[in-house]
Amino acid sequence: MREYLVEVIIQNKEMAKDPEGETIERDLIHRGGYDSIRAVRSGKYLRMLVKADGPERAREIVVKMCNELRLFNPVVHSCSVKVRASGRKGGD
Amino acid sequence: MPEELDYVIGQLGREPNRIELGMLELMYSEHCSYKSSRPILKILPREGPRVLVGPGYDAGIVDIGNGYVVAFKIESHNHPSAIDPYNGAATGIGGIVRDILCTNCRPVALLDSLRFGPPRKGRTKWLLKYVVKGISDYGNRIGVPTVAGEVEFDESFETNCLVNVACVGIGRRDSIVLAKMESPGDYIVLMGSSTGRDGIHGVTFASKTITAESEEERPSVQIGDPFMKKMIIEATLEAVATGFVAGLKDLGGAGLTCALSEMSFKGGTGVEVELERVHLREEDMTPYEIMLSESQERMLFVVKPEGLERVLGVFRKWGLPHSVIGRVTDTGEILVKYRGEVVARLPSKLLAEAPVLHRRAKRPRDLAKALKVPKPREPKDLGRALVRLLSSPNIASKEPIYSQYDYEVGIRTIVKPGDGDAAVLRLLEEPRAIAVKADCNSRHCRLDPFNGHAGAVAESARNVVAVGAEPIAAVDCCNFGNPERPEVFWQFSEGIRGLSYMLEGLGIPCVGGNVSFYNEDERTGRAVNPTTVVVTLGLVEELDWVTTMAFKEHGDEIFAVGRTYAEMGGSEYYHWIHGISGGRPPRASPGRERSSMAIVKEAIRRGLIDAAHDCSKGGIAVALAIMAIKGGLGIDVDLGRIPRSGVGRLDELLFSESYARFVISARPGSARELRAIAERHGGAISRLGRVVDSSELFMRYGGRAIRCGLGELREAWNGSMRRYLGEL
Repeated sequence: MREYLVEVIIQNKEMAKDPEGETIERDLIHRGGYDSIRAVRSGKYLRMLVKADGPERAREIVVKMCNELRLFNPVVHSCSVKVRASGRKGGD
Repeated sequence: MPEELDYVIGQLGREPNRIELGMLELMYSEHCSYKSSRPILKILPREGPRVLVGPGYDAGIVDIGNGYVVAFKIESHNHPSAIDPYNGAATGIGGIVRDILCTNCRPVALLDSLRFGPPRKGRTKWLLKYVVKGISDYGNRIGVPTVAGEVEFDESFETNCLVNVACVGIGRRDSIVLAKMESPGDYIVLMGSSTGRDGIHGVTFASKTITAESEEERPSVQIGDPFMKKMIIEATLEAVATGFVAGLKDLGGAGLTCALSEMSFKGGTGVEVELERVHLREEDMTPYEIMLSESQERMLFVVKPEGLERVLGVFRKWGLPHSVIGRVTDTGEILVKYRGEVVARLPSKLLAEAPVLHRRAKRPRDLAKALKVPKPREPKDLGRALVRLLSSPNIASKEPIYSQYDYEVGIRTIVKPGDGDAAVLRLLEEPRAIAVKADCNSRHCRLDPFNGHAGAVAESARNVVAVGAEPIAAVDCCNFGNPERPEVFWQFSEGIRGLSYMLEGLGIPCVGGNVSFYNEDERTGRAVNPTTVVVTLGLVEELDWVTTMAFKEHGDEIFAVGRTYAEMGGSEYYHWIHGISGGRPPRASPGRERSSMAIVKEAIRRGLIDAAHDCSKGGIAVALAIMAIKGGLGIDVDLGRIPRSGVGRLDELLFSESYARFVISARPGSARELRAIAERHGGAISRLGRVVDSSELFMRYGGRAIRCGLGELREAWNGSMRRYLGEL
């Protein structure tokens, strides 16, 4: 078994409003003079090491976990799961 | 529906295009058009000397004298809350706040009426926890206190929870703004959040039953933005204060389509708008999506041309996005252009006035059987039964819920949740106050929609009277199953008849309301209990009259006002102690209500009363127990003195839920004066005993006696919700 670095990004769906991102864009970025920046979206980032028999399997475990434990709210959030580094040999 | 399409083609003389069809479909949804309910709702009394704006506008407005008005309204957000309780409930608050705001009244209070399945179930816990969090997060952040409400638990709400929210606003009579477009040439300005793809077809969703696939129908739930709302509140009030705002409406269900058609129809005008001017969240949106979007936190302003710059200046100052999207015309049409091309052209009237449907109503066949149930055996230990009843989820203190809300922000709240039968909010400018309360006993309504709904009006009015107010107006929120089923439509029409009977009898006008149908589980076909939540608004002319429910001092005498009957059907006692859900519920009588309310009102005004509480779930025994728990004082009463007719059993005397009753406490020596007042108003009153400096409820009846320790009662009443739900 190897360990894989998996990233989870949870954000409001594209069609949904993102009050946090909008506030950062309006009140911080634009007010601070960075007019070239737009369409800011906020989200939640989780990174984890997953012991698995291959990158696909690692991804599957995390997807299942996110759905089952409701790490995100499927009504308003999108959740993307990516395997970042093909792993190193797991400890013990 | 095919007949509606035929009607449209007949009126237009052509087939509507895809955008027009989408607009019509939304406006003809049950949610927007009230096409099933309109023919029934028109029987509700809506006139009164204080009524300035009645049903048909965003909020009802009543005159409270000295130049002040109160705007209030109640709405349901049931369907979105069942799918996503947090965002569903939060945006429900957002919507009702906008309804009040667009009359140019400042929102000052929120109320919430919530209904769920039995509290031990996991789904109920999840729904309740996040509905309450949604309400408190949103309400607390916009600085509007949540001051009152009610929570009911019943199996019928297991799949379809009910989330009804009401908002109350205070304003000046001379600066009310209406949702109308009256002068051609005025500018139409869209202010607030950008228009996105969220919530397209939300109202169609609200006009359907919930299915297993509903979780996938995700665009229907929105994300609220309380900070944006707070800025919108302040910017709106400031913009109207310029004197250049001629009309104002919030964008809710059916978005721009609904606002444009209703405002122009009411003002007898038309509009011409250019959709490429609308500020969008996503660039590639089509005209169809822009017209149908239900994005939150948007307001539509009608602005006089000479004041356009002033009004836009206010929006700029608050940093609020806005766009001038068109002008009012005299054509009677909604003309929608996109990049120079006409994409939709429909008469306002065609959109705003959907053809009504006359639905069939039929009394459910199994109802007669449900009304006739054999009486259960009287428990030997009625003290034990009282303790258990106090722990029932429908009676136990809802403190774990209301303590999540900020109920004091705005410094108006003088009777806080749990202290009185209704919330009391003072006017900041003068020594007067308003009182509000929302009520419905949905089990009574299920067994007897007519009497149950009449009872809902009576109960909310009694609650307002108990805190020292005069009821002056009401709004209602109807929650029913699928109206296409004749049994459901029967419940609805009987219910509205009942509301009307009691409102008429008490002289309370109905100034607004909301109807939510299709609250049923499609798999099982089970509809929610027919539930019309009634919010009564009362006026307290003198702050000295404000009365709470706790017993105040030992030696005070305890009186029962109103007559008790053996009306046990649908009672919490039958349900919780005996597991019986049938029986004949209490009969509503406007005459008896009037007498009892007049007695309490006059006694309060003469300064005789120290505490007042109405009798509802759990009857007179629960009322006495709660007043004692709240006061930390014992009582010594003779139940044999309770005014009654045809009550042969002690459990019935204790737990009957007959309407038109109060328990009050008065200074020693007030009995004669109280009797004289009661006689004058043709009502029953009787002294039961006194408040004592002890820690027990001591209740005698003939040779029998019931004793309950205050500590045990308090533990049952205060501690139970936490036991069912854990910490919220």
